[in-house]
Amino acid sequence: MRGFGYLVKEGFKNVWSNRIMSIASVGVLISCLILTGAAFLLSLNVQAVVDSVGQSNETTVYLKDDVSNLEAVYIGKDIKKVSNIVSAEFYSKEDAFKQYKKELGDELFERIQEDKNPLPDAYIVVMEDLSQYDETVAQIKKIDGIDRVSNRSDIARRLTEISNLINLISFWVVLALMIISLFIIANTIRATMYSRRYEISIMKSVGATNAFVRMPFLVEGMVIGLASAIIATGGIALLYEGVMAAVHQLVPFTAIPLQNVILYVAATFVVAGVLIGFFGSFISIRKYLRKEGNEILGW
Amino acid sequence: MIDFIDVSKTYPNGTHALYDVTLNIEKGEFVFIVGASGAGKSTFLKLIMHEESPTSGEIIINNKKTSKLKRRQIPYLRRHMGIVFQDFRLIDKMNVFDNVAFAMRAVGENASTIKNRVPYVLDLVGLKDKMKDKPSELSGGEQQRVSLARALVNNPEIIIADEPTGNVDPEMSHEIIELLNEINARGTTVLVVTHEHDLVREFGKRVILIDHGRIKSDSGKVKNNNSVYGNSYENDVPQYPDNAVIVPDDVSGDNA
Repeated sequence: MRGFGYLVKEGFKNVWSNRIMSIASVGVLISCLILTGAAFLLSLNVQAVVDSVGQSNETTVYLKDDVSNLEAVYIGKDIKKVSNIVSAEFYSKEDAFKQYKKELGDELFERIQEDKNPLPDAYIVVMEDLSQYDETVAQIKKIDGIDRVSNRSDIARRLTEISNLINLISFWVVLALMIISLFIIANTIRATMYSRRYEISIMKSVGATNAFVRMPFLVEGMVIGLASAIIATGGIALLYEGVMAAVHQLVPFTAIPLQNVILYVAATFVVAGVLIGFFGSFISIRKYLRKEGNEILGW
Repeated sequence: MIDFIDVSKTYPNGTHALYDVTLNIEKGEFVFIVGASGAGKSTFLKLIMHEESPTSGEIIINNKKTSKLKRRQIPYLRRHMGIVFQDFRLIDKMNVFDNVAFAMRAVGENASTIKNRVPYVLDLVGLKDKMKDKPSELSGGEQQRVSLARALVNNPEIIIADEPTGNVDPEMSHEIIELLNEINARGTTVLVVTHEHDLVREFGKRVILIDHGRIKSDSGKVKNNNSVYGNSYENDVPQYPDNAVIVPDDVSGDNA
């Protein structure tokens, strides 16, 4: 397009000449992006906690008394074949006996001889997805030689529920904020267009194409979006470091390090900011581009 | 250059603006469009500029049927036209040079062409020494000349002036029409909508009188009777014997 440089320059000039509205838009968009980013980082950290708890959430699968050592090996192989099982480690009755003895004291176990050990052999299994706990346990129970499975489904279910709830809330918060941002930008551009309606009507009367008329306003929207994204990235970095340091003092909790996510957050902010700016402008100018002559001036 | 064939226009609110208008304007003509307020003059211009589409009939501009134009082709049709508005429509934050250059930038002209062309056109309208001035620093007549320069700068084939003398004093009105006459002498077709009866009479051009959406008289037709081209529109229309009928109440008809 001829005159592209001129149009881009006009877009930047628009931002400056409507600086009060531009600052208001940038402010609102920054708030929306920071809240969105905060929801995302919270969700990410909760997911990480759920995952770590999930990993340590070992379920014990007890074998029947009459299972021989060789049979136990085959049962172990069968357990590992069950989908959703990450690992299954053999935990012999002797190991269990030693563990109990260590934890509860020798006195309680001095009358029990090791060859009359009443504890069963077991496998310690870790599941990948705790939401499938019940289905996975049902499959394990089908294997011959399994006596029972320790009941940990409550913890699994609760953790999964919390994680799902946070994801759901985050999704709606993000969606609502994005829509709000879109409207704010659209209104800013509408105000710009109103103040420049003379120019638009003159441009159209001398034969400017719609693409040409539209371009400075799209640039204006994208500049507002980009500026907001850059400032919001800085803002969320400071906020995250501060909040996580404070949380760490209250509970022993290892947050996802900022450097692991900041680039991802920045890229998402830039893409989201520029797209919101672009579409906000696009929506506003459509109305004007359909009008002709004095209609543009509101006469 | 401009052909109207049985053109009628009815607005969505039911207002009948034009009825069965058929006329032809040749390349290089100078035409005054006259008529009372609400007669249909503005609709006539809007149809030429393709700001409105006819309800029925066909408009042909530069041998192209406007009904066949796609939406994206309309800007290119307008590049053949330069528009002069009664209220000038100058952008006050821009100086004279930029107001004129704006029309060139809007069609994507490059900076060096703009730099050469704008002073040339401003010289043509006698405002070369006012390039740096803001519109608010100029008189009404000067502002209208800037508006005319803006209409001319893209070298259009047709100049459409909608009441170009409506906001300027009588002396300046004469100068504006004289300027349009000079532009016409260089080959540009000129359409002027005006209420100013004396100017119309003085310049002796073709006059189309629109009344209640119909062409009541077109002095272009009388040239076949060897009459002076454009001098006879008042005689053709006995119901418009003097200025008082043609000129609406809010515009002074006695500018002589």
